[in-house]
Amino acid sequence: MRGYTMLSPTFIAMVLGLAMPLVVLFTLSFWLQEYLDFIRTFSFANYFEFFHKPIYRKLLLKSIRISGIVTIATVLLAYPMAYFIAFRIKKNKLVWLILITVPFWTSYLLRVFAWKIMLGYNGVINSGLISLGFISEPLAFLLYNPTSVVITLAHAWAAFAILPIYVSLEKIDRSLLEAARDLGESAWMTFLRVTLPLSLPGVIAASLLVFIPTVGDYVTPSLVGGPRGIMIGNVIQSMFGESQNWPMGAAISVMSMFTVAVIISLFLWGTHSSRKRIA
Amino acid sequence: MKKDQIRDQLASGKMSRRQFNRTLMALGASTVMMPMGARTALGDSGDHPTVFTWEGWEVPEFHGAYIEKHGASPNFAIFADEEEAFAKMRAGFKVDITQPCTYKIPMWYDAGILEPIDTNRLSNWPDITPSLKTIPGTVFNGKPYFIPTDWGQTSVLYRPDLAPEYEDNETWGILWDPKYKGRLSMSNSLVDGVMVAAIYSGAKNPFDMTDAEMEKTRAALKEQLPLIRFYWDSPTEVEQALASGELVAGTTWNDSYATMKAEGHNVKYMSPKEGAMTWVCGFCIMTDHDPAKIDKIYDYIDAYMSVEAGIFDITEYGYGHGNAKAFEQVDSQTLADLGFVSSNPDDMLSSGIFQVAMANEAELQEMFDEVKAGL
Repeated sequence: MRGYTMLSPTFIAMVLGLAMPLVVLFTLSFWLQEYLDFIRTFSFANYFEFFHKPIYRKLLLKSIRISGIVTIATVLLAYPMAYFIAFRIKKNKLVWLILITVPFWTSYLLRVFAWKIMLGYNGVINSGLISLGFISEPLAFLLYNPTSVVITLAHAWAAFAILPIYVSLEKIDRSLLEAARDLGESAWMTFLRVTLPLSLPGVIAASLLVFIPTVGDYVTPSLVGGPRGIMIGNVIQSMFGESQNWPMGAAISVMSMFTVAVIISLFLWGTHSSRKRIA
Repeated sequence: MKKDQIRDQLASGKMSRRQFNRTLMALGASTVMMPMGARTALGDSGDHPTVFTWEGWEVPEFHGAYIEKHGASPNFAIFADEEEAFAKMRAGFKVDITQPCTYKIPMWYDAGILEPIDTNRLSNWPDITPSLKTIPGTVFNGKPYFIPTDWGQTSVLYRPDLAPEYEDNETWGILWDPKYKGRLSMSNSLVDGVMVAAIYSGAKNPFDMTDAEMEKTRAALKEQLPLIRFYWDSPTEVEQALASGELVAGTTWNDSYATMKAEGHNVKYMSPKEGAMTWVCGFCIMTDHDPAKIDKIYDYIDAYMSVEAGIFDITEYGYGHGNAKAFEQVDSQTLADLGFVSSNPDDMLSSGIFQVAMANEAELQEMFDEVKAGL
């Protein structure tokens, strides 16, 4: 009972801030919109529309694909950084960690705009290449396409990948690595057979932290994605805005959450069984 | 359980653990649900009404008389378009005044968020151009719900040095010219974006299209998509891209032309042969305004309608102003440089395609999203 009491403020906050909105969203998704009013009768029409019209499926798949690429890119780039801090830095680790998170003290929007300046027509990369004489006309393909969305998101979420991977690497018992080397494993095989499996919890946490929020992102695609850059989040946003169809927006959100949940479960199940095989 | 009862029980150690926990739980619940302090923490900003408007219309030059009288500007909230504003207000955002354009008034009136306006309380009302006072869809049951403040155009702003062949052939068609692939932009909105495609594809009434015309508009949007660099959400985006040469042409409002001209850029504002789009925006008073602030609400609207604000609007933004007397104060050369054919809004509004309420907004938005998704 005491445990529950201590939990109660958090629990109440969770109920009010998370569970209640979800219930509202779920209920809303079974209603219908007519001009300015909700029709409060139970109906599957929104879900039917979701499966019937190709746009929602297509954009959901596209969002998952982009987020998947972002997750892989972010984890691949974050791992060496986390490894470096965990194994190579002996003094002032905290300073290094703070230095890595410094860019993330600025607002998310500012970081997206920073990439616009980097990749833009008159941007840092283009003007640099022109002044070096490599190109005479600015490269237009750098910005306003899905690749620029991937680049921007991979940078914007880097800190969320570096920190969990760093923690799991830091926790590895160094004597295990020594033992592997003493028993004749090469440095590379030690990494593959000892370090990597032991750091998997961090990698999994990092993947989830990056994948789940980026699927629904709509700010980044609308700022750097160009005319074809829209993702599922943009359609949800337009349902709650321009289209004035909140129930449909709710149904798309529910379907999007459901799909992400299924993918995450498969991912966790897959990593769990592969970890058991390694162990 | 009473307050002193709790204290007594605590002091005498009579309270059971369960009771104690229940009290703690109640305390936790009420703490979480307590509003975060009083809202008037910032001086007297709570005394002023909140104005929900477009970026750029909140500058003090538009309401000098209000500042003189009340010592400060009112509170401002900015929207990117009326759809965003509407969604926010429907979700519970309380404001006193909004500044939408006429094509949104019928829907907002239907939603029951607009209040009739007492024009006797506005000293500048007699100077307002008469035709703007009776725009269809802004007066209901003989009562005005809209005070016209600004009018202008949506047209193509382009670089004559990069696309010289369009100087004698001004047309919306430049936005479909494959020669300028990747160097064109259009507004990311229905009224200033999708309607352009409707006009280009030859819809008889773009604001109330037949199914066949809708399909033609969709085809035009699809044809245009590969040529578009980006759909713009903020005028600054398109202005910067035109200045650098990233864009050759894009749809804009008059103020982008006025701004870029003033900065010395080589740009021209089209009078497309198919007709430019014209619009009128202005004030509405919201039903859930704060009744205590009603005098200041009218003072603010009146200040914006003054001749001084009108001159600023015309000379700095290149927009027409609702106050007809403001035009008398600006010389004809300045007006011509800003692209005004006439100081009478009737001439401009009747020469262009006047933006009215769109018949099938949800369908149009879905179409726009589908085109962007590559369908």
